[in-house]
Amino acid sequence: MKCKNVERLVFRSFDGFLKEEEKQALEEHLKDCPLCRTKKEEYQNILNTLKGEDYPEPLPYFWERLQPKLKENKSYESLTLWKQWGIRAIPLSLLAVFLFAAAILLFLPNNNEELSQSEALLLRNLNPLQETTSLLDREGIEDKSMMLIFTTMEEKNGTRR
Amino acid sequence: MEEKELVRLSQEGNEEAFASLVKKYKIKIFNLAWSLTRDHETADDMAQEVFIKAYFALPRFQFKSEFGTWLYRITVNHVKDYLRKIGRMNKMLIESKKESLLFLEDDTVRKENKYAEEQRRKIVHQAIQTLPEKYHVILSLRDIQGLPYGEISKILKISPGTVDSRLHRARKILREKLAPFLSHEGGNHEM
Repeated sequence: MKCKNVERLVFRSFDGFLKEEEKQALEEHLKDCPLCRTKKEEYQNILNTLKGEDYPEPLPYFWERLQPKLKENKSYESLTLWKQWGIRAIPLSLLAVFLFAAAILLFLPNNNEELSQSEALLLRNLNPLQETTSLLDREGIEDKSMMLIFTTMEEKNGTRR
Repeated sequence: MEEKELVRLSQEGNEEAFASLVKKYKIKIFNLAWSLTRDHETADDMAQEVFIKAYFALPRFQFKSEFGTWLYRITVNHVKDYLRKIGRMNKMLIESKKESLLFLEDDTVRKENKYAEEQRRKIVHQAIQTLPEKYHVILSLRDIQGLPYGEISKILKISPGTVDSRLHRARKILREKLAPFLSHEGGNHEM
């Protein structure tokens, strides 16, 4: 029998799990192997130390101290139940808000207004008053008389363009 | 009254029945907590907390295991949580404990008196505390509490085979850790 296997048998012997033939084989090995014998004695010492110990008692009035804690925890338990549900509801409500917002953005009809002519010109970096300026720049008599006509009409109507 | 009946009444909120269960198990639960924490007040607090947890978890207890086994399981898990919480602090303490082990070896272990016995016990327990949690727990359940393999298997929810191998590993590590101190008493020095 190898020393490596003996240690397992030694430990099992403390638990009383050895079969008769295993017990005999172990005893035979221990007779001739001082190293394994030492190991056995060492763990036997550990076990004796652990088992020969006097256990302390719990502090006095164990139940008397426990009882009020149970009552206190009873009310706390029901309160925490509500709290737990409340805490669980937070991510759920956030998720619902997010889904609602996403749905609005996805399913809202596309209201893209068409650009006005001047907006389109501005977008292309062109001057929207280009045509008007060219008209005003003309110094012809007809244009000036037209402007006079418009001015008098405005004065009559009391409006300004 | 039978234990099952007491459990059933406790499930219905009968405090007297629960008080009887506490009376029956308080020392066992305290001892288990004490063997894992090695601190009287902490073990007492743990035992109280275990009974509070058990009281509120009782409606979910379905008699699939013994009430005692179920209570032990709660205790082991509760103390494990506690040990994990203070784990970082302990790492620092363990280092200082290692130093104190060496100090104690020279000074007291050799003396064959009650004080030396106490110190030896201290050394063994300090060594157990430095083991990884799973080995610490299984040694406490088997070699300190003396629980049978079957019950340990139910408490830790592991197979009896795993109990056997984990216990073997735990004892081996513990023996190797303590070999320098134990060789003074009885064995020779051939380790």
